[in-house]
Amino acid sequence: MARMALLVSPELCIGCRGCQSACKEWNGLPAVKTVNRGTFENPPDLTGADYNRIRFMEVPSAQDAQRWLFVSQRCMHCGDAACMKICPSSGALFRAKNGAVVFDKGKCIGCKLCGSACPYGLIRFDQANKVSKCHLCHDRTEAGLTPACVKTCPSGALKYGDRDKLAAEASAAGYSNLYGEADLGGTGVLYAFKDSPKVYGMLQNPAFPAEVHFWSGIKSLAYLGLGATVAASALHYLVIGPHKEEGEEVKKDE
Amino acid sequence: MSRMVKKAGAFEIVNHWMLAGSCLVLALSGFAFVFHLDGVAALFGGFPPMRAWHNISGVVFAVSLFLTVFSYLPVSLSFSADDMKWLSMGGGYLSRNKKELPPQDKLNTGQKLYYLVLLGMGAVMSASGFTIWLLGNKGLVLLSYFAHNLFFVFFMVAIPVHIYLGTFANPGTLRIMLSGKVPLDWARRRYGKWVSRMGLG
Repeated sequence: MARMALLVSPELCIGCRGCQSACKEWNGLPAVKTVNRGTFENPPDLTGADYNRIRFMEVPSAQDAQRWLFVSQRCMHCGDAACMKICPSSGALFRAKNGAVVFDKGKCIGCKLCGSACPYGLIRFDQANKVSKCHLCHDRTEAGLTPACVKTCPSGALKYGDRDKLAAEASAAGYSNLYGEADLGGTGVLYAFKDSPKVYGMLQNPAFPAEVHFWSGIKSLAYLGLGATVAASALHYLVIGPHKEEGEEVKKDE
Repeated sequence: MSRMVKKAGAFEIVNHWMLAGSCLVLALSGFAFVFHLDGVAALFGGFPPMRAWHNISGVVFAVSLFLTVFSYLPVSLSFSADDMKWLSMGGGYLSRNKKELPPQDKLNTGQKLYYLVLLGMGAVMSASGFTIWLLGNKGLVLLSYFAHNLFFVFFMVAIPVHIYLGTFANPGTLRIMLSGKVPLDWARRRYGKWVSRMGLG
């Protein structure tokens, strides 16, 4: 299967938040109680029960005193995923055929290392500390359906399809900034902007954590160190031999 | 066979095996975490229970490492000319021709240095482990993650060195950590300074 992607076009978003509801409904996620903070934006952050949300900003533009910006936020589904690299459990985070970064709570050990490794800070956990985030509706896409948020989006602000095709279409439609196209091995969630992504509050220069990268490069030293030390000990025993002083009666003592 | 003398007490011996046992559980589960070894994880009942084993063993390790301070730290910090001579002779490990080594205290020079290195490595391992486990600070967790892994590699070298030196390389030494008793003659040759300091003759 070609790599798939979710294309977010914030300019087309009308802020209905149908995507938030559809996600909760399909994934069986409970409501999270929040308070009125005087903004359209709710919930105030992603949580283990809110896999996606609409970020809302009021910013001035050259033409208008105020502009309302709506940006769908969720896991970026990195091509080079630091969360998968740092995860100590086998199979807790895995790559789906469509390129999505999917989790298996049964295998998650609840260490939260992925949350620290995520360059975007977008990973959340449930009450048992198990990873709980957007998986691009793995169960739906495996069955040939689109993610629930895409299915419900009435304005075309969320599209799901072949990653290369979506990117080409967005460029052809005049979206000159395709956020995520080259970051972290290319993200599985792309954002089509005409303005600078900065205006929309997107993270500038997301970077793969150096600690995780460096350790993956040298981790075979653990096997090498163990093997070399055992071999060196055996060699020492054979070549130089055990430590027996002159006249020591080792056999009698044993 | 000469008279037996008590080289190590019950506290020291029990604490040593708590440290050794927890260290082996930590190393084994650590290997499985780093390399995603499903077979090893199965021994613990899967990855989630293995994390509990790893964390609880980490507590045992940290506590027993701290308790070794009372048994070994003072003697490990006392260096004399004999230690320098011992070092210059490579502890007698570098040649088939065993020459007489300078008299040693409760720990010989190599054991003192090994202990100090182990204490430092164990402290880094414990501090970084508890940071990953209990703190939420992203920068600190990533730094600890790296330190924990790097020192894991160091332990992979230190553990077999310790096992080899305590068994095959020095026949008779293991008794110190089993019954705690060794023959006086043997102790006099290996730990002469300690024998005189204790007034064992």
